[in-house]
Amino acid sequence: MRAFLYKALAFIRRDFRIESGYQAAFIMGLVESLMLLVILHFLGQLIHVPGSTGLGKYGRGYFPFALIGVAFARYFDLMLRMFSESIRTAQVTGCLEAMLSSQTSAITVVTMSSFYSLLSGGLQLVMILLGGVLLFGVNLGTMNVPATLLILLLSIGIFVGFGVLSASAIVWLKKGDPITWILGGMGSILGGAYFPVEVMPGWMQKISYIVPIRYSLDALRMTMLTGASLPSIARPLETLLAMAMILLPASALLFTVAVRKGRKEGTLVQY
Amino acid sequence: MSSIESMTVQSQSAAGDADLDAFAPEVISVRDVTMRFPIPKRYREWVLHPLGPRRVVTALEHVSAEIRAGDRIAVMGPNGAGKTTLLKLIGGLLFPSEGEIRVKGLSTLHHNAAARKSVGFVFNEERSFYWRLTGVQNLEFFGALDNLPRKVLQQRIGELMQLVGLERAADQMVSGYSSGMKQRLALARVLMADPHVLILDEPTRALDPVASEKMGSLILTDIHRGTRKTLLIATHGAEEAVTLCNKLMVIDDGCIRGFLNLAELNHDAATLREYYRHCVAGERSA
Repeated sequence: MRAFLYKALAFIRRDFRIESGYQAAFIMGLVESLMLLVILHFLGQLIHVPGSTGLGKYGRGYFPFALIGVAFARYFDLMLRMFSESIRTAQVTGCLEAMLSSQTSAITVVTMSSFYSLLSGGLQLVMILLGGVLLFGVNLGTMNVPATLLILLLSIGIFVGFGVLSASAIVWLKKGDPITWILGGMGSILGGAYFPVEVMPGWMQKISYIVPIRYSLDALRMTMLTGASLPSIARPLETLLAMAMILLPASALLFTVAVRKGRKEGTLVQY
Repeated sequence: MSSIESMTVQSQSAAGDADLDAFAPEVISVRDVTMRFPIPKRYREWVLHPLGPRRVVTALEHVSAEIRAGDRIAVMGPNGAGKTTLLKLIGGLLFPSEGEIRVKGLSTLHHNAAARKSVGFVFNEERSFYWRLTGVQNLEFFGALDNLPRKVLQQRIGELMQLVGLERAADQMVSGYSSGMKQRLALARVLMADPHVLILDEPTRALDPVASEKMGSLILTDIHRGTRKTLLIATHGAEEAVTLCNKLMVIDDGCIRGFLNLAELNHDAATLREYYRHCVAGERSA
């Protein structure tokens, strides 16, 4: 465990040192998030119908609904992309081969390369939520914190799994990662980040059952806005747990296979 | 038969017979290795032959060699001959299509991580560092990947920066390093884990004559003499080969055309050039 933490810290320190040279990017990201909050707030003034379709079960207006949806959807989207981006950056900068010639396995390299993004993205998530609470008066006082953290952990597991699958696709295909394309595209429409799934036509709602972010956002809104207990969110919880249990080992296996194929065909460092 | 011709035949049939270290243990064994790289299909091929096999380029074909502990081998050959492929296979960065490579008895295919422990690879790629980190920060990161404990790592970094002559540039960003400094940093990086075998892929490619000489002296005097590491150095320079190495391997067209002790060439660059020309041109005319 100590060795794991030591290595993980080395990756986080590396990325922090590199990123600290680009403070403007972090600040611009925060400003962009703040602007999004303002837009959502004014949209919320338009859609001020607490009992409207899909919003009723959360017992709040549009803004708290969209705040949680957008903040977490952005965080999960980051997870989806960060593994493939870290692989591609390492390929382009020429550091991938040097890392893979070390005593650290390829799956550890790709996983740990994402730790910094996970933390800095988490910081942005907290700041967006804080902005919603402090600037726009969203009340999260009833939040069931342990249940929210559990949902968040399971969702991270799922999106890490998809992220590693996406990294495998990058190792395999170099450019044009179908996992991010499909999940990112489907999630933004069918995931219910900006509007409740219930307002979509029936056939679209049916497709949305296969989109993992739908379950994450639904359960997170329930625990954060209504303080729902674990038994009352059992269905999304079970779905998320099952997805995480399948995705994590499967994605690790596929990534290992992709790296092995890359070593066999000499394509690992090509981009 | 000319003396050079007889040497080629002799070296191909009994490579290393004249080796002064004939009784040194074998550290690398390359057995009948073939490496083929598949070529990605073009759109036209996907349309016309969607299920047909991909075309392949054969980079190495039925290559065998035994390398003994403490050997310093110059790997020479024309561009695209298969030198880097062979070195990457030995370094465990590539897996052979056929055959087997063992480093200290461990197969690079089946025990890749364990085999790689004994090998350090100095890439000819200048960009294998994080340019926005300092030299020391780069070594700290790569040292952690090699599982070096923090205390050992700090001490080792200090020693190695001094060894490669970068102690004054230790806290300078790598983006400000010259090509020679980056090469020396690359050398320090692989030496951190203290591997038995050092593979240097054209270590002086981008260096001026003075920097090349310094690099050569660093490799031979400071690294090899003190530790008797096994060195495999891909190079195009005859002088560099005779200065740094005790054996020569000539690769052309994916095959080893000659592998002999440099004593047989009297450690003379002109004779080496003649031998090299004979190996390469001889095979082409045949």
